[in-house]
Amino acid sequence: MVSLSFLAPCVLLAVATLAWRRPGRRPEGLPQLAEYAALAALALAELGVVQVTVAGPAMLSVLGGPLDLILRADPVTVTLALLVAFIGWVVIRYSRTYLDGEAQEGRFLALMLATLAAVLLFVQSGSLAILILSSFLVGLGLKRLLLFYSDRPEARRASTKFALVWHGADAALVLAAVLLAGSYGTGDVSRIATAASDASLTWAASLAIALIVLAAALKTAAFPLHGWLTEVMEAPTPVSALLHAGIINSGGVLLISLAGLVQQSPGAMAALVMIGGFTALFGAAVMLTQSAVKTSLAWSTVSQMGFLLLQCGLGLWALALLHIVAHSLYKAHAFLSSGGAVQAVAGLRRPGPIAVPRILAVLKSFALALVLYAAIATVFTALVGPKTAQALALGAILIFGVAYLVAQGLADQAPAELTKRTSLASLGAAVAYFAFQAAAQAIWGPALPPTPVPGPLEWALIMLAVASFGLVAFAQALFPLWAHHPSTAGLRVHLANGFYLNALLDRAIGGFRNPKTH
Amino acid sequence: MVLKHSQIAPSLMSAILKAAEVAARRIPPAFPLEATVAVNPFLGQTGEDLATASARLQRVAGVRAVRAGADHAAAIEDGQLTDAVLAEALSASTSPLKPKDLASLKAFAAGTATCEPTALPTVADLAAEATDVDWPSIIEKSVGVWAAGQFDRGQALWSPAPDAEAFASWRAWATHDLTPEIAGLTGFCAHVAAAPDTADRAILRAAEALGLDEAAAETAFHRLYMELGGWSQHARWLLWHAELTGGTDRTMADLLAIRLIWEEALLAHVPEIGEKWAETVSAHGAPVKPSAEDVALAILQEASERAHQRGLFAALDGETAPKDRPALQAAFCIDVRSELFRRALEDVDPSIETIGFAGFFGLPLAHKAHGSDVVEAHLPVLLNPAVVTTSHAEPEKEKDARIAARTARAWGRFRQAAVSSFAFVEAAGPFYAGKLVRDALGRGARSEKRTPAPWVVGGLDARAKADTAAAVLGAMSLTKGHGEIVLLLGHGGQVTNNPHESAYHCGACGGYTGEVSARLLAALLNDPETRTGLAERDIMVPEDTLFIAGLHDTTTDEITIYDDGLPSDRGDDIRRMKGWLKQAGKITRAERAPSLPGATPMTIAERALNWAEVRPEWGLAGCAAFIAAPRAATAGRDLGGRAFLHSYDWQADDSFGTLELIITAPVVVASWISLQYYGSSVMPDVFGGGNKLIHNIVGGIGVIEGNSGRLRPGLPWQAVHDGEKLMHEPLRLSVMIEAPREAITGVLMRHPEVRDLFDNGWLHLFRLKDGKVDARYRPGLIWAEPQELLAA
Repeated sequence: MVSLSFLAPCVLLAVATLAWRRPGRRPEGLPQLAEYAALAALALAELGVVQVTVAGPAMLSVLGGPLDLILRADPVTVTLALLVAFIGWVVIRYSRTYLDGEAQEGRFLALMLATLAAVLLFVQSGSLAILILSSFLVGLGLKRLLLFYSDRPEARRASTKFALVWHGADAALVLAAVLLAGSYGTGDVSRIATAASDASLTWAASLAIALIVLAAALKTAAFPLHGWLTEVMEAPTPVSALLHAGIINSGGVLLISLAGLVQQSPGAMAALVMIGGFTALFGAAVMLTQSAVKTSLAWSTVSQMGFLLLQCGLGLWALALLHIVAHSLYKAHAFLSSGGAVQAVAGLRRPGPIAVPRILAVLKSFALALVLYAAIATVFTALVGPKTAQALALGAILIFGVAYLVAQGLADQAPAELTKRTSLASLGAAVAYFAFQAAAQAIWGPALPPTPVPGPLEWALIMLAVASFGLVAFAQALFPLWAHHPSTAGLRVHLANGFYLNALLDRAIGGFRNPKTH
Repeated sequence: MVLKHSQIAPSLMSAILKAAEVAARRIPPAFPLEATVAVNPFLGQTGEDLATASARLQRVAGVRAVRAGADHAAAIEDGQLTDAVLAEALSASTSPLKPKDLASLKAFAAGTATCEPTALPTVADLAAEATDVDWPSIIEKSVGVWAAGQFDRGQALWSPAPDAEAFASWRAWATHDLTPEIAGLTGFCAHVAAAPDTADRAILRAAEALGLDEAAAETAFHRLYMELGGWSQHARWLLWHAELTGGTDRTMADLLAIRLIWEEALLAHVPEIGEKWAETVSAHGAPVKPSAEDVALAILQEASERAHQRGLFAALDGETAPKDRPALQAAFCIDVRSELFRRALEDVDPSIETIGFAGFFGLPLAHKAHGSDVVEAHLPVLLNPAVVTTSHAEPEKEKDARIAARTARAWGRFRQAAVSSFAFVEAAGPFYAGKLVRDALGRGARSEKRTPAPWVVGGLDARAKADTAAAVLGAMSLTKGHGEIVLLLGHGGQVTNNPHESAYHCGACGGYTGEVSARLLAALLNDPETRTGLAERDIMVPEDTLFIAGLHDTTTDEITIYDDGLPSDRGDDIRRMKGWLKQAGKITRAERAPSLPGATPMTIAERALNWAEVRPEWGLAGCAAFIAAPRAATAGRDLGGRAFLHSYDWQADDSFGTLELIITAPVVVASWISLQYYGSSVMPDVFGGGNKLIHNIVGGIGVIEGNSGRLRPGLPWQAVHDGEKLMHEPLRLSVMIEAPREAITGVLMRHPEVRDLFDNGWLHLFRLKDGKVDARYRPGLIWAEPQELLAA
């Protein structure tokens, strides 16, 4: 049976073709048509969800053999298709007004629709061939969108970096696909996973997994090649929204689609935990120093994608998927509404000074948060069954974040009413994410491999992750007490420059060269 | 500290620092976007004429301050610029370089051979040519990242220590920042560490290293300030702000020192450019003089202004007959957007009269909004606040508002902080699906909850009330003939997700809406104590005159009426008034719709709520005239939403105090607005706010484009251009005042800085008599007769 969600890219491509022929300013009727196409794609994706819910998974296979082109509709892929189609509708509707009067308005719509179609194809891929093909097409489309203002040297620099990293990842995937085809004789992702779990990994398969992890790290802008993502606000805002809410997830989608295979390699999983955990903390720390709203959001994405890799590395696949969905929705909104930052910043100063928690209040807030965590975890365990060690560790990391919210209400200067409100908000936040996690496990858990039982290596990594996130959270809560101390001024400079990795990359690829002579 | 002052003579030292000061004052201030107002980009050039300013800007910024000849050629082609107007403008020019006849003037318009202007190079430019490393953009980016943090008002959680002086803060930054060294400027950190520890000494040392002499320093420094773009304009605002309250600010000198340290380091790094740099220095040493082309293009600009003036001469053909006592007298801000609405409202019913006055209604307020500790200056930026007011509600409600705001702020920090941002996304992310739908469909309108009525802190005694009221009514020329209802309308533009929101608000209210001012004045004028005091001062306001405050939303043309204790027995009058306002709004929308891309009269209101809308309305685009006269002179004339209309009755102005006020405040503010639109249209790369589609808000104060480091003050391109054509015809303002010539001349004599604006052609001035143009002002306090000006 064919899922209706497979048709969504076709609708978009059809209108993209029309738009391509009218690339100029104010192509009459086209912006509306583009939005209708996005709405149609959204409806098809919704119908796909209904189909999977009612009739179970569906698949479409075209060629067969190692080059088989397979589209798959299961709880995971239809969720992602729905997510992408929804974001797609929002950004196309936004572009309809936003791009009005641009010299290349029609061309923009064509590129957006085509890229969106490629992303929809990507998230529904069931085989490596179509995965790689669609990933390549996404890269082509996005590169052209980043060059929308091609007279800007900054835009050219950003698109060069993007293409280098993105297509580098594609090359790694091609290599991985060849190795896997050699090992298992198929490009079908689910058959590869089954085959891999039946026998121990060959060296070729191990290498393929390493390449897949590399590709995922590149595509999620993980440290140290994260630089491309922090410069791509050179294209109109809807492109940033689509990129940060749809395209950037490719790395995570890749890992989740191949979860059964990747999980066979403890080394790969450990690498994901380490790369992801470090990127998450690194990106979040750099984000603190960024004064430009879109730049700060970009660093936030770097960090959130790191967290996603960490979740994948811990084998918490359903939670990783939840993170993709939650982050995409949040980040799309954050980019599209970034024009409100002037008013938002002005609003911060209005209600008077911020109450700063001292060390005792911070300790108290961490203790309170842990008590809160224990209570909620007990309730949820009673309701939905026991949690894995990895899930508990992740919960601890998240509760450290909530402690920060508690701490703000516990500051000596905070009025009682404020303490009450922030405590309620903390409780609400804690309950909300445990509820979302339980729901995620229930919806997607059965379609994904179970979290592996931790061995010594896993335990060590879990401890390391919890300790380092806890430490950073603690430092963060005490932040106002040390942030302006002269001894930390240098750290702030290095962080604000992202530890110069981007400057080094610029130097390596000639990004500092004089554009007037090139 | 290594200071080699041995070779530098004390007189040269003071000359260099003087040049730095002069160059700093050539830069116009840029107000932060939170409450931005228009600023004349030529603020530092009002002492010279357009052609000279253009020559100066070519040297320091690589742009002409005048439109391209081709624009004028097109206007000549389609008949907008006739030979008569061209000849008139040509003969009015006093420049020795002016074209000898009409034909050679036209040749300049047609002259396509003229090359693109280029600025004199900086050391960074020369070094970029020599080393193939893009130094200017490396500096822009590196200084930009530092400046974004330095001037951040709360975007980043981790910004530099508050109150750190710019130069000290930059030195601390630059001794750690490795970017320049990675780009190839080895030893830069050490160079900065060894630099003098005060800005002045750093400027002197660099000037010496760069071989800048007294003559060359000013434009060389000006060049570097222009290179810093909006950051120097922001620093200039800090100075402006400090000086208004009697203080001073050193940030301008700090920025110059920073940029000079870069130049110094690059010259040492690339010594082979020394010769070229010496040539540049000597070019800076030459005085700024306009070329024949600059003069000709300025004459063509003058001609297009004269063409527009002819339309005004024709429209202003004498006063209309006075009316009976109006049922509704509506006072609007002089803002050009009111012209349309006023015309529409007067058309709705003959018993309606309108008045124009600066939208702060003469009340210079230092105001704290509901739930806010921040003092906002609701007044023209030339003035200092004199009345302290607030919209704080009763303590219990006020506290609730603050707790809610502080909880939201704590939640915002939870979202932004390291580690907690992950918890935020997992807990709150899914709810953003709802927010996306709401905002995509434009359902995210701000709540209609009314803010509490403003009040004067400490109250006013009966005498202060009457004095204030008498002063305001006098300035409004509203000391007699009050209507049954006097509606005081402030204005603001409702927009969504627009960084430049405050640019659509009331410039006379410092970039806030006029709500607070209108409500305060209405309450003051309804106060029985005030009325009694006014009567004692011979201002008879009829018993039944009711003052009502309202707000004109210039995006939707809807009027909000504030019910701050309106008497119930006037319900019918008020309902009738609301009906009229509704009708007028409809007419105005119908007139505005054709110029807004993709809009119909029915869909205009949606623009205010659409988060993707980059052209919610046209603001003051098109503004070209300022008329201070009784409404009878302009009533019934279609001025196309292009004229500031200030009600003024010189016969009621005994000592011409009101005239003086008008010429020194509203006229100057209007000139700032008109010249800001001029600058943003003619020199968008230098004085324009850039492309809204890639705006990236920095520090809550301004925008940069994409990933660049340069702050972009001024109006965004989308605010002056509809995609196909400029929506603002760049014209210098034509000021028309109905008052005796000697009275106007007297004011100009007392205010030389205002006279400069007229004498150097930044404003045109006409005298009106009985509603007709009577004379044109000529530089040097001369009036040209009407027959001369209407010849042809």
